[in-house]
Amino acid sequence: AEASFENSSRRRSRKDWISLIYSSALTPEQIAQGDSNASHEISSDDADDDFFRIRPATLVNGDDLDMTKELVSPDSLKEWEDEALLDSIRALFITGEQAAPEK
Amino acid sequence: MAQTGSLLHFSDHQYLRQRLVLSILSGKAVRIDKIRSDDKNPGLRDYEVSLLRLLEKATNGTVIEISVTGTAILLKPGIIAGGSVSHDCPLSRSVGYFLEPLIMLAPFAKRPFQLSLRGITTDDNDLSADLVRTVTLPHLQLFGISDGLELRIKKRGSPPEGGGEVQFLCPVVKQVKTLNFVEPGKIKRIRGIAHAVRVNPQFSNRMIDASRSVLNRYIPDIYLYSDVYKGEESGKSPGYALSLLAESTTSAIQCSEAVSKPGVTPEEIALTATHTLLSEIRRGGCVDRKHQNLVLLMMVLGSEDVGRCRMCEPSARTIQFLRDIKSFFGTSFKIVPAEPSDPSSTQLLFSCYGTGYINVNRSLA
Repeated sequence: AEASFENSSRRRSRKDWISLIYSSALTPEQIAQGDSNASHEISSDDADDDFFRIRPATLVNGDDLDMTKELVSPDSLKEWEDEALLDSIRALFITGEQAAPEK
Repeated sequence: MAQTGSLLHFSDHQYLRQRLVLSILSGKAVRIDKIRSDDKNPGLRDYEVSLLRLLEKATNGTVIEISVTGTAILLKPGIIAGGSVSHDCPLSRSVGYFLEPLIMLAPFAKRPFQLSLRGITTDDNDLSADLVRTVTLPHLQLFGISDGLELRIKKRGSPPEGGGEVQFLCPVVKQVKTLNFVEPGKIKRIRGIAHAVRVNPQFSNRMIDASRSVLNRYIPDIYLYSDVYKGEESGKSPGYALSLLAESTTSAIQCSEAVSKPGVTPEEIALTATHTLLSEIRRGGCVDRKHQNLVLLMMVLGSEDVGRCRMCEPSARTIQFLRDIKSFFGTSFKIVPAEPSDPSSTQLLFSCYGTGYINVNRSLA
């Protein structure tokens, strides 16, 4: 789980946020979820042929509310049951450097 | 999003709140149409109408026109009056839904706000009263809005019946300070509030124990408070929740919260809150993810100087908010990786040139 997190973050860190936000036609959800490459192609496609436009799949949470908290899927939190991952963020605490009292 | 004169035009019901707030702050009229026009039940929802009514009460001279079908609104902003305002929130949304936009407006009012809101104080959709008190208000203090800033939770109210009451006091400022917050620091303490109303009061302690079982491994400075509300003060419906916050050596705050659901034990609720907090800590940055919008707005309104802030990746809401800020104020942010040398870091450095927004509403002396 730790490795996959690092992988995905490495991929994402190359994003050019300024142009994604201010000069692309992607929806905020697409940008946030990081499927920018795929949708870049789509947006150039429907410029040619905008008679049929695929409606973006409606959001999962029904009547998509204007809400501040994000929906957390229980599955995404399951990873925290892994001891290695719990230890991986130890460096973010002040007790991080000195080899913290082992479990 | 075509701009004609000073009237801005948007579609869709999403992001309604932030557009109304930006309209009132910038003084530009806004027209929003196609509000759920394809829905089985088209038009504004009761809570959206209620928000418009609240904005009407909190300002002076605001003109709000709602079309017959309720699918389009036109708002011509007046001045932010402030003073004593009280409002009954519908039970479809919590008071957080109404409080969040008002917090953005309140520092720029003519007179200090004393806002009383009644309704649901904690739910799954918006910031709960606890988070507003412990996390949102410290974020405002970064911008020099501090004296007399307070949120009192007079009564708690859980869904579905509510019955809670909060009072929000906010001072007025002439201008907000420029933010320069680039050092996230390390987490030095964790605080939490567990509350349980109209259920076994032992539930708070069970949540605290479960949360500590995970957090104790990191730092010793953990204080989870069991907040007791009794009788009339505990609202009309049963419910419990745990809100957690982690504070760093540079006072950066990350927060999380989980609210009771039917058939879920207090321990599971506590673990959800705890694991969410760990996710937020891992994302890092100097401000909490749910407060990106508030901080970015205050940065834009800052004095004519470059404000900088380090954050984690923007959420979808934040991305739309950045676009809306550009429509209303013409300000765009410079966004660069915070640590270009470290490819595993996803944190970003947001910087912008403040508009030098001055509170013209403020009454003199």
